Amino acid sequence: MTPKIAVRSLRHEYVNPFTRERVLALDGVDLEVAPGEFLTVVGPSGCGKTTLLGILAGLVRPTRGEVLLDGRAVTGPGPDRGVVFQEFAILPWRTVERNIAHGLEIRGVPRAQRAATVRRFVELVGLAGFERKYPHELSGGMKQRVAVARTLAADPEVMLMDEPFAAVDAQTRITLQEELNAIARATRKTILFVTHNVEEAVFLGDRCCVLARRPGRVKAMVPVPIPRERRTWTLFTSDPTFDAARQRVLTLVREEVGGQDRAG
Amino acid sequence: MTLRERLAAWGLLLGGALAAWTLAAAALPVPAYVLPSPAAVLQALGDLVTKGILPFYVLASLRRLVTAALVAAAVGVPLGLLLGMSRRVAEFVHPVLNFFQSVSGIAWLPLMLVWFGFGERTILVAINYTVLFPVVFNALLGVRSVPPLYASALRTLGASRWRIARDVLIPGALPNIATGLRLGLAYGWRALIAAEMLVGAHGLGFMIFSAQSFHLTARIVLGMSVIGALWVLLDYFVLRPLEEATIARWGLVQR
Amino acid sequence: MRARLAPAARGALPFAALVAAWAAVSRAGVLPAIFLPSPGEVAATAAALLRDGSLWVDIGASLGRMLVGIAASVPCAVGLGVVVGLHRRLAAVLEPVAGFFNALSGIAWLPLAVTWFGLGWASVTFIMFNTIFFLVFFNTLAGVRAVPRLFEQAVRTLGGGRRHVILQVLIPGAMPNIVTGIRLSIGFGWRALIAAEMIATSTGLGFLIFNAQNFHQTDTILVGIITIGALWLLTDRFLLQPLERWTVERWGLVAP
Repeated sequence: MTPKIAVRSLRHEYVNPFTRERVLALDGVDLEVAPGEFLTVVGPSGCGKTTLLGILAGLVRPTRGEVLLDGRAVTGPGPDRGVVFQEFAILPWRTVERNIAHGLEIRGVPRAQRAATVRRFVELVGLAGFERKYPHELSGGMKQRVAVARTLAADPEVMLMDEPFAAVDAQTRITLQEELNAIARATRKTILFVTHNVEEAVFLGDRCCVLARRPGRVKAMVPVPIPRERRTWTLFTSDPTFDAARQRVLTLVREEVGGQDRAG
Repeated sequence: MTLRERLAAWGLLLGGALAAWTLAAAALPVPAYVLPSPAAVLQALGDLVTKGILPFYVLASLRRLVTAALVAAAVGVPLGLLLGMSRRVAEFVHPVLNFFQSVSGIAWLPLMLVWFGFGERTILVAINYTVLFPVVFNALLGVRSVPPLYASALRTLGASRWRIARDVLIPGALPNIATGLRLGLAYGWRALIAAEMLVGAHGLGFMIFSAQSFHLTARIVLGMSVIGALWVLLDYFVLRPLEEATIARWGLVQR
Repeated sequence: MRARLAPAARGALPFAALVAAWAAVSRAGVLPAIFLPSPGEVAATAAALLRDGSLWVDIGASLGRMLVGIAASVPCAVGLGVVVGLHRRLAAVLEPVAGFFNALSGIAWLPLAVTWFGLGWASVTFIMFNTIFFLVFFNTLAGVRAVPRLFEQAVRTLGGGRRHVILQVLIPGAMPNIVTGIRLSIGFGWRALIAAEMIATSTGLGFLIFNAQNFHQTDTILVGIITIGALWLLTDRFLLQPLERWTVERWGLVAP
């Protein structure tokens, strides 16, 4: 079966605008994501996970290698790959509902249909009653919910999420993770989720891809064989399978954090 | 301080100032034309209004300013936005715009006099120039100040460049555009007064300048008060609310 | 050295392009030479004026008036702004008054100034003082009023008296506004200066270009205009930007 996302020999180098030195961000990344899979990507700071996501999103053109979506090459950004960014990327001058509707507006979906879809997703992310609010009136967690809803409403084939919960407090983070789980179950979308938080990676991912320290390369793939409908935080803290996976990923990441940057 | 207290304080201040002024005008050993009394100024007001001169001059000046504002908005804003969209173009054009903005319309006036002579066109060109450049400059800065993240986010939703300009760049640049318009008109109002003095066309600037040759100082004070009052009204009731509305409504913070 | 050259060269490039376009237009003969002399003619006139010293005199006169205006007004305006700002009630009442005089400042005072002081440097200096003073005063006042009371209270609980509050809380706190005020006042002041020189004196860059207009000496006019713009760019780059960097950016403050 064709993987939903295929990354082959991805290599990316860029020039640091401040120091003018060449930086090798990714050095030969190979991975595949099956349709409907929730893959989390985790690694130490600077391992290139955000670069990887940027390339998958089509916002960055890699120096070498290719990225395929359903066998077709990715050349630029597009509505087939929805992105939820780390910083709040919803437009401050649009209300919650207009932000969520944005992808649909762009596609030319008629107003009545848009309204129905927006309502559905407002409910899905639990923002009922806040439709007319502006982002500056919302908390961080709520803003990210809007971002997730916006991406989902545009119905992409794949969702790319770049540490979306990093700027949110710990309590809200847990809630958002559980909500994301529910959404993943309900929509069965292919999701690639980048994070530096090991617990989050294991809690959410069907598989955890551990990236090596700069320059980035796939160090290991750790499966988390727990059915999505059973995943709750209570289970996470008690279940031995979860725990084994967490320990494994943690060890792998720790190895990379402690080590030296490899020469390109 | 409550509003009533403040109004009382202003009333007191105004009354005190008028009293001191009247006293000074009466008591100081200077000719009447050096320090006209408030009464003389009021008389000049009545005189000029009934003769229809003051309204005529006020309208003439305002007409020129409003025209410049409309031109700047219609031409300057799109131009600034367009120039700001490409980083390279924006960087290239930035110092040139800065240069032309700093050379006010008044400095160009002598050249305009050579080109168009002493007439309305000269004033209009000078004023429109003065208002235009801050608007273009600030619109450009506004576009550049929109976080690239928003444009990236919209690209992942499949938006075209035109769509990004419409939904991201223009709204994002609005606070800067409002500031630019406010600054441009502040420069423009002053340049207008100066231009009217130099070119001798009907208007408030001309009024106070010609009054000086006849030592009609009461008229000068009257004209100055009107000039100041008009700007305060324009700025306080139109321009500043506009600027604040764009910033406050969207909770944006200027750099 | 090479790294420093690149940004300077890049800054000059747009102007070089502009001059090239100008040269092309005047060579094409679209406009008569009296309307738009070529860059070469303007450069020659500039050289002549520099050589006989008259351009230096005019630059000196204009800059001198600018500097005198700044030196005289800024300390007064900041001082007064702080003192008034200290008394909350007085400040609340005076701010709109300051706003009105701020709106009035500049060339509108010229006829009155000429009535009082006659034509000449006194009137021009009065205009400068007037423009710079009210702008800086108004902005300082607004800035002092905007400093959170919390800071003042904190310093007082540490035993600070009025002097401490002024020097360590109000002035630094109001700095972004003060710097903005100074920057604006130089901008408005420069414009008022040029206009006043056109009308009321016989030296200075404003006079230079207005006088040249009488004789249709377009090349001299352009020399004057370019000098005005260049002086502003230099002031902005070597005075205002460092000022802003040295105070506001260093302290991580952002002007509202």
